[in-house]
Amino acid sequence: MTIDGLPPLKVLRPDTVDDLAKLISNEKGAIVPFGAGTQLSFGNPLRSADTAVDLTQLSRITEYVPADLTIHVEAGVTLGQLHRTLLENKQFLPLDPWNGSAATIGGIAATNAQGPFRASGTIRDWIIGMKVVEVSGKISKSGGRVVKNVTGYDLHKLYTGSLGTLAVISEISLKLRANFERTATAIAQFGDARAAAACLASLRTGPLQPVACVWSGSNNEIWLRFGEHAKAVEWQLKNLPKDADWTAHEGADEAAVWEQLRQRYNGFGPVVVRVVGLPTQVHEIIEEYRPSGWIAHGLNGIVLMRLDSGDEIPRIRQKYRVVIERAPLEVRRGVATFGITGAEADLMKKMKSAFDPDGRLNPGRHVDGERL
Amino acid sequence: MNRDIVARLRGFLDSTCVVEDETELLVYECDGLPLFKNRPDVVVFPKTTGDVAQIVRVANEYRIPFLPRGAGTGLSGGALAVEGGIVIEMQRMNRILSIDTENRIAVVQPGVVNLHISQAAAPHGLYYAPDPSSQMSCSIGGNVAENSGGPHCLKYGMTTNHILAVEAVTSGGEIIRLGNPAGEPIGMDLLGSIVGSEGTFAIVTEITVRLLPKPQAVKTLLAAFHSVEECSQTVSDVIAAGIVPSALEFVDARTIEAVEASVYKAGYPLDAVAALLIEVDGFRDGLEETASAIVEICRKNRSYDIRVAKDDEERAKLWLGRKGAFGAMGRLAPDMITMDAVIPRTRLPEVLVAIDRMSEKYGLGVANVFHAGDGNLHPLILFDSRHPDQVDKIFAMSEEIMKLCVDVGGSLSGEHGIGYEKKDFMDLVFSEGDLETMMRVKRVFNPDGLLNPAKIFPSRRACTEVGKHATTSTAEIGKRVEAILLGSPEKVQR
Ligand SMILES: Cc1cc2nc3c(=O)[nH]c(=O)nc-3n(C[C@H](O)[C@H](O)[C@H](O)COP(=O)(O)OP(=O)(O)OC[C@H]3O[C@@H](n4cnc5c(N)ncnc54)[C@H](O)[C@@H]3O)c2cc1C
Ligand SMILES: Cc1cc2nc3c(=O)[nH]c(=O)nc-3n(C[C@H](O)[C@H](O)[C@H](O)COP(=O)(O)OP(=O)(O)OC[C@H]3O[C@@H](n4cnc5c(N)ncnc54)[C@H](O)[C@@H]3O)c2cc1C
Repeated sequence: MTIDGLPPLKVLRPDTVDDLAKLISNEKGAIVPFGAGTQLSFGNPLRSADTAVDLTQLSRITEYVPADLTIHVEAGVTLGQLHRTLLENKQFLPLDPWNGSAATIGGIAATNAQGPFRASGTIRDWIIGMKVVEVSGKISKSGGRVVKNVTGYDLHKLYTGSLGTLAVISEISLKLRANFERTATAIAQFGDARAAAACLASLRTGPLQPVACVWSGSNNEIWLRFGEHAKAVEWQLKNLPKDADWTAHEGADEAAVWEQLRQRYNGFGPVVVRVVGLPTQVHEIIEEYRPSGWIAHGLNGIVLMRLDSGDEIPRIRQKYRVVIERAPLEVRRGVATFGITGAEADLMKKMKSAFDPDGRLNPGRHVDGERL
Repeated sequence: MNRDIVARLRGFLDSTCVVEDETELLVYECDGLPLFKNRPDVVVFPKTTGDVAQIVRVANEYRIPFLPRGAGTGLSGGALAVEGGIVIEMQRMNRILSIDTENRIAVVQPGVVNLHISQAAAPHGLYYAPDPSSQMSCSIGGNVAENSGGPHCLKYGMTTNHILAVEAVTSGGEIIRLGNPAGEPIGMDLLGSIVGSEGTFAIVTEITVRLLPKPQAVKTLLAAFHSVEECSQTVSDVIAAGIVPSALEFVDARTIEAVEASVYKAGYPLDAVAALLIEVDGFRDGLEETASAIVEICRKNRSYDIRVAKDDEERAKLWLGRKGAFGAMGRLAPDMITMDAVIPRTRLPEVLVAIDRMSEKYGLGVANVFHAGDGNLHPLILFDSRHPDQVDKIFAMSEEIMKLCVDVGGSLSGEHGIGYEKKDFMDLVFSEGDLETMMRVKRVFNPDGLLNPAKIFPSRRACTEVGKHATTSTAEIGKRVEAILLGSPEKVQR
């Protein structure tokens, strides 16, 4: 195995959290934790990788109390495994990161991974507690196992999205949702970008409450997913924006169409960026940069777009925040993944050195590898 | 306080923006938890972010403690000037800067009253979801600091789920922006860490919040029970049925007695042992069915009286009792403290029974009115501060309640924070190592500890007995413990 072209000297496979802590405390060099390995090239290029730590053996669901709507899992539990368990009690975690059910909860948290289903935020909004192993081997926790809790600092928020550069996530507590009584997805194609944008504009001020709203280019489709009481879904399907030919998908058919969108996204390349604007700016972003393919979160203002090279990224950054989702190593060597600058970057760098003064956890991946 | 400092502050603040008169300062000697008091040396009222930054720089220069304060409604002593110093009162930064209806966001200053955001958004069919019972007076800056909750957080989440971006002044006086109006997390979540940091990480000077469209329809009902068990079971059964009410509130007999004797009179049944205020909202279609399903569950659990509000007026009345409950307690005793703890909701019946037993044991009345849907308890302990022995009993009883909640898998605070009040209970939940990690993060934000000192982290158990008068000696011990935990005593010397 290589990560960013670096072959780790060894791969460790701890079976328990205590085991993980012991192994880490014995290590001297650079440590690279990984889960399903679906996203090992996300972030700035790794500077070194002496020991890779495979977390997939940490795959226990340590506690699940359905009536409390909470679950506690080890970091290597996959999203698929989690959802299968939850399904038995008609519950779920409202998230659908693009790489699907193989990803581990630890990896999803470390990357704050997301997909189209963003009505209730990203995983940061569902994590209620965490246990991590610090670079010294010390185990520490934050939050707890209850859905509402303001005891101490929300350090689990800090670890979320920090790409395993502050600590290795070993256990996560999540709050859950009851299954929607019914879900349905309506898709319509529009003649051009302007017509699609007009549809989105009407949705922004209208009565519908889709749980996912995607504008997929370049064929200008709008995808709307509804989840609610069956009658509320019915009402929304009956009140879709006029002037478009909507096709509704439910059940297995619905799952299949979203799988198609995922494939469409996964086919994007070689460079994929996430441009962060406002919902009202989505059309402008697409008009201005004219990507050959895109998937926009129409109600969140986020455009995932395919680019032919990394050359345009600095120009887009003059106006918008841009995160590189995927790019060849050469591109990632030349352009920062997150583009975090100024006082915010300084604070993050201080945080990194407070947790990992010798820079041994995923060295270079996050702010410590950001160049401008 | 050093005269130079006040002179420096007066150098760039209007004369009305600097208060140092001893009697005027009395107003700022405590927040909503008057058990602990200490007078600040000076209170300043910044009008701009620049003012805040300059005040902080002056405080740093003279190495004196400083802390932000919103409306002072906090219930854990978060805005208590434990070591004196400068209180930075944010109430004059109270403008709503913009409401962007299409993008459903509002940009506001920290001193804006929570409810005013919803009022300003109402003409556009939008509102701000987190609604602490103090929403008519608490500030959004205070809400950000405490990660405040409220009845509707069951369905809509806490403050942290609704804050998209902030501008803040760091403890060193630098202005920083975190987050973005799209609410898109980029890299490590510093914004999420600041929310709920109880004013110990930075002073928030501008906030971008998410607005939500008002639901098409709302149904509110009150169900009365003859037993706490049946009432609690109903809470679990509603959740288990997959229903996500927008609020699920518990009121006990004592609360009903107080409310019905007060101006908040809401027509709650006086013979009930416990009652639930349940609200569901969403699309008109399907809501009737959801409400009927809830009524069914209440009946199954032997609710003997179920009232469904017929219109907005009846709805408002049902809520009046709940929102006014804290205020109504004055009817029952001269003093009251509002406890806040959280437990897994399935453990409600046993915990309520145990609290009842404690109430007998200590001879202090307890009323229970709380957010049952998410297991967030608020035992209101009634007492008379003219009897010092009662004050001592409160400390003992609150410690016992905290232990109980932690034992059943819960935690110390669901929404009011740790502040000064509960810092000595922190080691019930966190190990020394956990606390060291938290302290390390605090030092990144607040390296000299000048910003809101002596909060959140334990000093020493025995010192809670200091009671009414928070003294510097408690703070001194706190600093020493902090130094020991950090392993570098010289750093915390000032
Ligand atoms: C084709 C494709 C498309 C994707 N699109 C998107 C997208 O649009 N938006 C988005 O946000 N994400 C996207 N992702 C990312 C992906 O969803 C997440 O990164 C993934 O869920 C990570 O899970 P994993 O178990 O595979 O992690 P891995 O790939 O194994 O690890 C990912 C990173 O997290 C670190 N890590 C893993 N586990 C831990 C742990 N327990 N503690 C600390 N650090 C850890 C690793 O060191 C590494 O840096 C995409 C991934 C793929 C393959
Ligand atoms: C009757 C009553 C009912 C209540 N009901 C609820 C409820 O249902 N839910 C709930 O969660 N709380 C409730 N509270 C508690 C309280 O109202 C909240 O904690 C509120 O968020 C405090 O806001 P404030 O503006 O009064 O803050 P303050 O009390 O002034 O300060 C609270 C903390 O915030 C910090 N702070 C203030 N402004 C800033 C700023 N701009 N930047 C950084 N830090 C800042 C202070 O330093 C302090 O630590 C209730 C209180 C009362 C009195």
